[in-house]
Amino acid sequence: MLFRRIYQFLIVYCLGVTGLLAIKYGAGLSNYVIPGLALIFDTAHRMLAGYFLDVLNTLSVTVLGQMISIFMAFFVGIIGRKSSWAGSFIKVMAYNIQAYPIVALAPIIFILMGDGFLSRLLIASMICYFPLLLSVLGIMASPIKDIEHFYIATGRMRWQLEVKIRAFENLNKLTTVIAGSSTLAMAGTIVAEFIAADQGIGYSIRIALYQSDLACILVALFSIGIIISVYQGILETVGEQMKNKWFTPKGGDLI
Amino acid sequence: MRFECRGLTFTYPEADKPVLENLNFSMAAPGFNAVFGPSGVGKTSFARILAGGNNGPGGDALIYEGISTILYSYNQERLPGWSCTGSHLEKVCPPKNSDLRKELIKIFKVDAFLGSRFSQLSMGQQNRMNLIRYLIQDFDLLILDESLANVDEALRETIVLAIKEIFPTKLFLYISHNLMEVARFCKDILVLSHPGKGKGAVVVQGQNYKTGYTATPQAIDRSMLEIMNAV
Repeated sequence: MLFRRIYQFLIVYCLGVTGLLAIKYGAGLSNYVIPGLALIFDTAHRMLAGYFLDVLNTLSVTVLGQMISIFMAFFVGIIGRKSSWAGSFIKVMAYNIQAYPIVALAPIIFILMGDGFLSRLLIASMICYFPLLLSVLGIMASPIKDIEHFYIATGRMRWQLEVKIRAFENLNKLTTVIAGSSTLAMAGTIVAEFIAADQGIGYSIRIALYQSDLACILVALFSIGIIISVYQGILETVGEQMKNKWFTPKGGDLI
Repeated sequence: MRFECRGLTFTYPEADKPVLENLNFSMAAPGFNAVFGPSGVGKTSFARILAGGNNGPGGDALIYEGISTILYSYNQERLPGWSCTGSHLEKVCPPKNSDLRKELIKIFKVDAFLGSRFSQLSMGQQNRMNLIRYLIQDFDLLILDESLANVDEALRETIVLAIKEIFPTKLFLYISHNLMEVARFCKDILVLSHPGKGKGAVVVQGQNYKTGYTATPQAIDRSMLEIMNAV
């Protein structure tokens, strides 16, 4: 899973760079517009270590933001799963608010909270929160009638059991959505850093942009891609292990 | 302990014709009774309405005397998959019914796969496992909607006879497509026919065999004929 993610990224990245180089040499563009391979390697040699640290800085905010959004999505999803007035209200709110582009709210957050860690964290978690919430709400609000009937009929159903049944039955969907939301959280953090922050890879890309240094941007994209692939790979592996732990029989005979 | 239907009519909200029309009959405990009828006649709808009690869609048309706990089991139910079936049975078993659980496990021949997950079992094994967890609960009326489907005939007979013996005071309502089985083992058989045929619900007497019975083919034939004529 992990290696597949990395080599898939490398293929896509190499195709992208090859395309750029094809345009460069096809149109006879200078190194100032599109850098040549030698310049890219030279920039990578100078900047890669620093960019890796920047990406790790961004990733730390991403992970924290994602954890907050997962917690919030489950919290709201569990509360909003009932077809009661409150549940319906939460669902309608969630469906309508997610239609609004959260990135557009970023300037308000920066005006109110200023540059720094909290603004980055808030934007990162908000960006991946709504897609997660919609999935979790959908899963939690869909009864697994074939399993739940017995517990309801015998008066054993508790909200914890209901959540456990629905989460277990939809574990594949949940792990896919959580792994997918890591990209969104990373994008949110980078956007936050790009708009107004003095740390992280988004901030470094902004500097490279002001210097019109495409080689630096390509190296930054490479470091982002590698690290996000590793992170997603780890999330998927953890999800896979969870599934195995829950689904695999413990000692029983295969009938 | 008995229940009665007085003019029960039920139409699904989206449908234009009733699925059940003017049902009038009563059944009394104890006993192993049945609901029989062709596919699509409304057996499962009837069972679900019955399980809802008089607060459900049946409303005032259902009268229960001495029946407070009604359980409804059907053949597509599943046990959660996060642990083995034996562990699930243990968890849902009231402590006082622990011996009953062990006895049923032996009778139902499920002891060999108590350590397996539900999804690993065959459909017949799944149905037996599901039925056990209902039988170990406290109930007055248990509706078994094809609960023994996919179980081989010999074992099904053993199970039905054992249930009758172990629960002599309870009321059971067995839904099955097996005419012979219903005629042999059930006391009262409610035969449903499609609404609009003007037949309504007819209750036919089955042979109500118990453990150690001696079959009388003529009597079974008579019961089967009565059931077929009532459909």
